[in-house]
Amino acid sequence: MAERTGAGTDGDLDRVLADLRALSGDIASCAVLSGDRDLLSSSHASAVDRQRIGALLAALMDLSDRLAREGGKDHAAQLRIDTADGHLLLVRLDGGGVLAATTGPEARVGLVLYDMRNSRAEIDKVLAEESER
Amino acid sequence: MKKLLRRLVLLGVIAGGAYAALRYLRGESAATETAQMVFDDGSTRFLASNTAEGKELAEIAQKIVEIGL
Repeated sequence: MAERTGAGTDGDLDRVLADLRALSGDIASCAVLSGDRDLLSSSHASAVDRQRIGALLAALMDLSDRLAREGGKDHAAQLRIDTADGHLLLVRLDGGGVLAATTGPEARVGLVLYDMRNSRAEIDKVLAEESER
Repeated sequence: MKKLLRRLVLLGVIAGGAYAALRYLRGESAATETAQMVFDDGSTRFLASNTAEGKELAEIAQKIVEIGL
């Protein structure tokens, strides 16, 4: 599970995620995982927590991909999981990564997903710029 | 005939009660929708909480929601 430390992408991604959180007040936390299962941005500062989150998200993506293939699809474009403590929402990015967010149990999930889908293009743009460097 | 019918009803009640008690003791609950997958073609798949896949997704999601992203 690699972590990027380059100021360019991290800063840009952090800005996009901060904008998303400002736009969608129901979001408790959010992160971006690359198609290579690298955690590109997270609210956690410690390396241990980041590795744990990256591993959990990667496991979730693998499971989601497996379920999609069982149904004859390549992958899920969007995944919503309801838990007792809140919701976990995933929106797939162009390069195979995901934008993930957590909310509380009373969140307006439809609105949050709408805001996440709107942020997707900007995140894809930031990641594409990084891959060109 | 009436006696037989009464016995059948009683037997059904006992069997239903035993089944309900068994499910309760096993900790099983009614299925609820736990996950929703939306695909590129617009189709959707729902996973219930009492399926293996639904449970697996919910367990991972629960950990992530607890510690945050």
